[in-house]
Amino acid sequence: MRSVGALLCLEYAATVYAASGEASRPRGVGPEFAKFYKDDSTFSCISTPSIKLPLSRLNDDYCDCPDGSDEPGTSACSHLSPLYPHTLVDHSSTGSNISLSLPGFYCKNKGHVPSYVPFTNVNDGICDYELCCDGTEEWDHVGGVKCEDRCQQIGKEFRKLDEARQKSLGSAGRKRKELVVEAGRLRREVEDRLQSLGTEIEGSEVKVRQLEVELVEVERREKGKVVRSAVQKVGKMGVLVGLAKQRSEELRGTLERVREERDASRGRVQELEGVLMTFKEEYNPNFNDEGVKRAVRAWEEYAARDKGPEPDAAHDRDLDAITQSDKDNGLDWAEYEGEGDEESDAGVLFAFEYYLPSSLRHWLDANLRTLRTTLIDSGILADTSSTSTSTSESKAVQAAQSRLDAARSDLANHHKSLTSHQEDLDSNMGPDDIFRALKGQCIATDSGEYTYEFCFLDKTTQKPKKGGGHTNMGNFVRMETVFVDEDVDSKGKGLGKGERIAMRHEGGQHCWNGPNRSTLVVLGCAEVGEVWRIMEEEKCVYRMEVGTPAVCDLVGMGGGGGGGRGGRDEL
Amino acid sequence: MLQLNASSSRWSAFLLLCLVLCSLLTPVVTVKHENFKTCDQSGFCKRNRAYADTALSTSSWSSPYTLEASSVRLDKGLLTGIVTKKAGDENLRLPLTVSFYESGTARVTIDEEKRRKGEIELRHNSKARKERYNEAEQWAIVGGTVLSKGAATTQGAEKGTTRVAYGPASAFQAVIKHSPFGVDFKRNGETQIKLNGEGLLNVEHWRPKIDKPVPEKKEGEEEKREGEDVTEAETSGVTVDDEGTWWEESFGGNTDSKPRGPEAVALDISFPGYQHVYGLAEHTGPLSLKETRGGDGKYTEPYRMYNSDVFEYEMDSPMTLYGSIPFMQAQKKNSTVGVLWLNAAETWVDITRSSSSANPLSFGIGGTTTTNTHWISESGLLDIFVMLGPKPQDVIGAYSELTGYTQLPQQFAIAYHQCRWNYVTDEDVKDVDRKFDKNKIPYDVIWLDIEYTEGKKYFTWDPMTFADPLGMQKQLDEHERKLVAIIDPHIKNEGNYYVVDELKSKDLAVHNKDDNIYEGWCWPGSSYWIDCFNPAARTWWQFLFRYDRFAGSATNTFIWNDMNEPSVFNGPETTMPKDNLHHARWEHRDLHNLNGLTLINATYTALLARSPAEASHPIRPFVLTRSFFAGSQRLGAVWTGDNQAAWPHLEASIPMLLSMGISGFPFAGADVGGFFGNPSKELLTRWYQAGAFYPFFRGHAHIDTRRREPYLAGEPYTGIITQALRLRYALLPAWYTAFHEAHVRGEPIVRPNWYVHPEDEKGFGLDDQFYVGGTGLLAKPVVREGQMESQEVYLADGERYFGYFDFEGYEGPGMVKVSAGLEEIPLLMRGGHVIPRRDRPRRSSGLMRWDPFTLVVVLGKAGDAEGTLYLDDGESFDYEEGAFIHRKFSYGAATSVLISEDLAATGTGGSKKAKEYLKSMEKVRVEKVIVVNAPAAWNGREEVEVSEEGAGKSGAARKVVMEWFAGEGGKAAWAVVRDPGVAIGRGWRVAFA
Repeated sequence: MRSVGALLCLEYAATVYAASGEASRPRGVGPEFAKFYKDDSTFSCISTPSIKLPLSRLNDDYCDCPDGSDEPGTSACSHLSPLYPHTLVDHSSTGSNISLSLPGFYCKNKGHVPSYVPFTNVNDGICDYELCCDGTEEWDHVGGVKCEDRCQQIGKEFRKLDEARQKSLGSAGRKRKELVVEAGRLRREVEDRLQSLGTEIEGSEVKVRQLEVELVEVERREKGKVVRSAVQKVGKMGVLVGLAKQRSEELRGTLERVREERDASRGRVQELEGVLMTFKEEYNPNFNDEGVKRAVRAWEEYAARDKGPEPDAAHDRDLDAITQSDKDNGLDWAEYEGEGDEESDAGVLFAFEYYLPSSLRHWLDANLRTLRTTLIDSGILADTSSTSTSTSESKAVQAAQSRLDAARSDLANHHKSLTSHQEDLDSNMGPDDIFRALKGQCIATDSGEYTYEFCFLDKTTQKPKKGGGHTNMGNFVRMETVFVDEDVDSKGKGLGKGERIAMRHEGGQHCWNGPNRSTLVVLGCAEVGEVWRIMEEEKCVYRMEVGTPAVCDLVGMGGGGGGGRGGRDEL
Repeated sequence: MLQLNASSSRWSAFLLLCLVLCSLLTPVVTVKHENFKTCDQSGFCKRNRAYADTALSTSSWSSPYTLEASSVRLDKGLLTGIVTKKAGDENLRLPLTVSFYESGTARVTIDEEKRRKGEIELRHNSKARKERYNEAEQWAIVGGTVLSKGAATTQGAEKGTTRVAYGPASAFQAVIKHSPFGVDFKRNGETQIKLNGEGLLNVEHWRPKIDKPVPEKKEGEEEKREGEDVTEAETSGVTVDDEGTWWEESFGGNTDSKPRGPEAVALDISFPGYQHVYGLAEHTGPLSLKETRGGDGKYTEPYRMYNSDVFEYEMDSPMTLYGSIPFMQAQKKNSTVGVLWLNAAETWVDITRSSSSANPLSFGIGGTTTTNTHWISESGLLDIFVMLGPKPQDVIGAYSELTGYTQLPQQFAIAYHQCRWNYVTDEDVKDVDRKFDKNKIPYDVIWLDIEYTEGKKYFTWDPMTFADPLGMQKQLDEHERKLVAIIDPHIKNEGNYYVVDELKSKDLAVHNKDDNIYEGWCWPGSSYWIDCFNPAARTWWQFLFRYDRFAGSATNTFIWNDMNEPSVFNGPETTMPKDNLHHARWEHRDLHNLNGLTLINATYTALLARSPAEASHPIRPFVLTRSFFAGSQRLGAVWTGDNQAAWPHLEASIPMLLSMGISGFPFAGADVGGFFGNPSKELLTRWYQAGAFYPFFRGHAHIDTRRREPYLAGEPYTGIITQALRLRYALLPAWYTAFHEAHVRGEPIVRPNWYVHPEDEKGFGLDDQFYVGGTGLLAKPVVREGQMESQEVYLADGERYFGYFDFEGYEGPGMVKVSAGLEEIPLLMRGGHVIPRRDRPRRSSGLMRWDPFTLVVVLGKAGDAEGTLYLDDGESFDYEEGAFIHRKFSYGAATSVLISEDLAATGTGGSKKAKEYLKSMEKVRVEKVIVVNAPAAWNGREEVEVSEEGAGKSGAARKVVMEWFAGEGGKAAWAVVRDPGVAIGRGWRVAFA
């Protein structure tokens, strides 16, 4: 089936003209051109009325008019087309623009819908029932061909199919509406979530602010407390020990990182060697590719060479031991750090309180702390607590800090969530937001030894039927509009002609000797989601034609069918 | 540290590997030279080149071959005798025959008595035959070998010579010199061809291998050995030959056991006075063969002929390719001569030229150039055919009479073929078929490469992808389109595959040197090779193609035989070991170059008998081959193998196809678009424009390339390509007529300048423009990138030429500029010809069967024109029973009448089929006559008078409208006769005055 719309159009035209002298139209003339053939003395070429011909030259199987209008019923003018290698003989009367005025040979197709057959198909010995079910385009019976009138049968089938098609279209329309509703619901869900996120964020922000205040307060309070413990003035040995500890920590960290890197590299080498091993075993020596053969030989040489030390368990155990904490290795830095305290001269200054009675000591302590806090706050005394290690930070501060951190992270998460929902809301999900309803849904089809799967707004996948790994054929990157010109079968399946929504998928699995796989999925209208066709247009570049109700209102009638653009395009 | 070192070297090795792998990703565009031998790596070539060096540098060189005068007999055109070769103390006996055929062709054959009688010993317990291979003629030669009883020795021969006069009017002479042995061939007293004139004749006789104590090799001995290379022929009696390559040779990890020892044959053939030689197809160099022994613009390697699967072959090279035709023509002003070196073993040909100036001051004028050729084959008989012309048509005619004429193909076969490795499913094929129609692009044939099979098992269909091959072919048949499926000679070695089971159980495969079945690797992996030299194998092969066995094949299925060199992926030089054994225990080395021919021979006969019904009324087979030899033209079409989507490959395709044309195998084409790689749209468009003038016109593409069916190119390219395709279709009557000329006379279909104008020395080197058959159409397709302005076309004569499309007038001789925009094909019509055309575009050539004709009458300087048309049903063999139309159209300035005469000397009146055919064509008429360069005197005339012979209206003249148009600018005046309505198969006349 070519273009249903066009055919219907013509049907209408046919009924209009049927009454008015259908019988008098020359062979092959469609009703809308009948007016050019009314004169019963001469015929004027349609595009060049100055050229007048005797009626005997109409349909005499010789092309006289520069637009071919004198041969509506033969193939004599079929060469008048920009696709033909014309010579001066044709150009002399028409100039450089050579084309036909008529769309083709008109078949009445009584019992079915009228249609035009290209002139190139007239009297070529082939019955073009697809366009001319009444077989009239083979009126000359060249080579003895007889094309019987099959319009009753074909028309009946057509009407049956057309009914089914209409039904299917109606149903597809309903489905689309459901999808729109569903998409709307999903959208509202997102909007609701956005709203609640807004509230949550406000709450979180308040909380963060509160906790910040709290932390400041706790810290202030705790600063005084550290008079005793925070007065450690570190001696030379202490400095050295501190440095040594720091250095040791650094080395351990670095060693750990190097080990991780080594393990990762070793893993990669193993993986690569595995790949090459498989490559050597599975490569197809048939393909006679000298490059591949060379690579295999190089691999064999490589594999045969001394590989250096195997991973050594004992050595690794040593490394494990080395990277344990120093304490586990019998080295307690704290011990050495303490020593510094005793030797510190400055420490003595604060040590005097140890000699006081406990009650006095407490009173003094409390006052000193206030004093100290005041001094620190006024910048007179250095805040030793801030320079001390975290271990020396009080539990209260730590708790406050962690509460604040948690609140901040909550807030960040909410922001992130907000952004992603907002993006989701702003992203192009097609007209009416329709693909929102299909997001993540998958449809598949078998083709050859593979099953091909397309998941809306997600990815395309190739799955071997014989088992084995799936191959990613690309992840969704964007929606596009493409122009297509494809057939629509009798059941209405197919893209038809016109602009269609397409989804581009890129960055799939890399191809040997080729690019990363990519897929263009072109959508046409169908009652149910269905992969119509899958083609590998070039190495690892795929094209899928998919039917879905989601695009139904966009492409008019009859599957993806060309709509009312007119059968002339087809001719 | 040690560890570090080890691992770093390991890493660098890994990086190296990565680099190697990466290098795979960049397109590699040069042939793998290391896969193929140079002359130096081929023992017998090296030995004979060295022999030549010694002979040519020794002033007192004397060839050690003598014809025993007493042994010479001439009886009924056959001269026999014994040539002796002095080698040491021995005088080896080499039986000689010189045959003189009715056609004027002479043949010189030299055998070796000891081998012939089997008085030799083979090494390694080889079961190979002992004789020199003497069956090449069973495959290559099909006619023209009737001995001439008129050949006679003439009196007054010089002492020590035998002189035989033969040929038409005894104008030819063979002067056979006794000592040293040699033959001079003369025409009208003038020497045209000399055999052994330079004394390079060398027949390596059989000798036992004497295992000498191997002397310790010392550095200093190298040079000495070099010098002794050629002392075999020295008369000192002490043979101290370099035996290094006598008994065993290794190349690329394969060792040739050479059970018969050295057995090469070599001979120099000189063409005194001939500057140009052509032939030795197929190579990528210019049509006029280059010198091969170094120097500016010369090759350093001899032309090699050893049919090979050469991956990514290079341009302008004497390297061997997929096929070989050991036929050479020499050309000088108004004289063409030729030789056929009938030997199917590996063959090398050196070409040199020597000049002598009659007057040293006259720079070439009056001076002569002699072309010397040195032919070297590894084994077999020395067997050459000599053709003395004098016209190109005489030489190609004699050659074609011997090796057979081009098959008259079905009409679809000369229309457009759409191929790709691979259309992936039956639905894919149907989709492409629909898209051609939808885009109004004609095509006739769609092709399937190896992927349609189930696991590369031929005669099967992949059930996953080609589940319904018959449904697919039915759709194709609806518009009379055909399917060509590939069937290769390697049979997959896999269980439960009836083809391999039968091949093994019937023992029909090629054997290895130990006489067991030979196993090698090709597309399917482990494979065996059918041995089509074996009659039983051919019978079996025929059986495989029957519709009831090759399920899924249909009457519109035809066959492509690829890989028939044979290509063996793990074999030496990608082919079979030379010590493999074929039917009748001939070694593969003896018949290698014939292998491809035997396969398509088997397939051709198989296609004639696919069902009992068809066997009684067969249609003409179509088989495409990659490998070929002299004679393959009888069996199918050929293409130039795996070319590349690059401009130089488009450019090279023209000389390559011209070379095939003058080598008797004109049904040849190159893959349009280029096999490897993606052509730019400009290149693709230009390639279609050139391809429309290839005798075999097929678009093809590698599996890794982007789709490039013409409708995908986009505008303006698709439209331009469609025009080129429709031009091919419109001119199909002219092409078919040209094919008929090839079929009956052996004439090339696309003809180089020298062939059409053998009097024009300036055009002898020309190989980038050509004539289409005898139509006078002169094409020079654009083959360079960005060339949009104009194309220089060489006109050899003073005739008038006209632009095919615009009737622009050109006058020769010399270069003229022809407009060459992207949408234009530089195409001229030579005055004096009539070109038949069918102007109605159809979906396939089969649907043009009932369409009327347009005749383009191109009046020349003298105001005359002449042309022919051959037409038949385009598919059956009924034409052999006279079911054809063969007309001659001629227009005479004196009479102003265009007449159609019957050229069918026989048949038309006779057979039932002939009558039926003519009846079926009764209504097919001439709808238009276009006269280009119409006389100004016709200005004002509005009618012509048409009369037609035949029942009912014989003699009744009708008036028909004619219109005359003045030529504007440089354009010719022209006239159109409106629908003369005469039947194409009848006699008629159109009187213009």
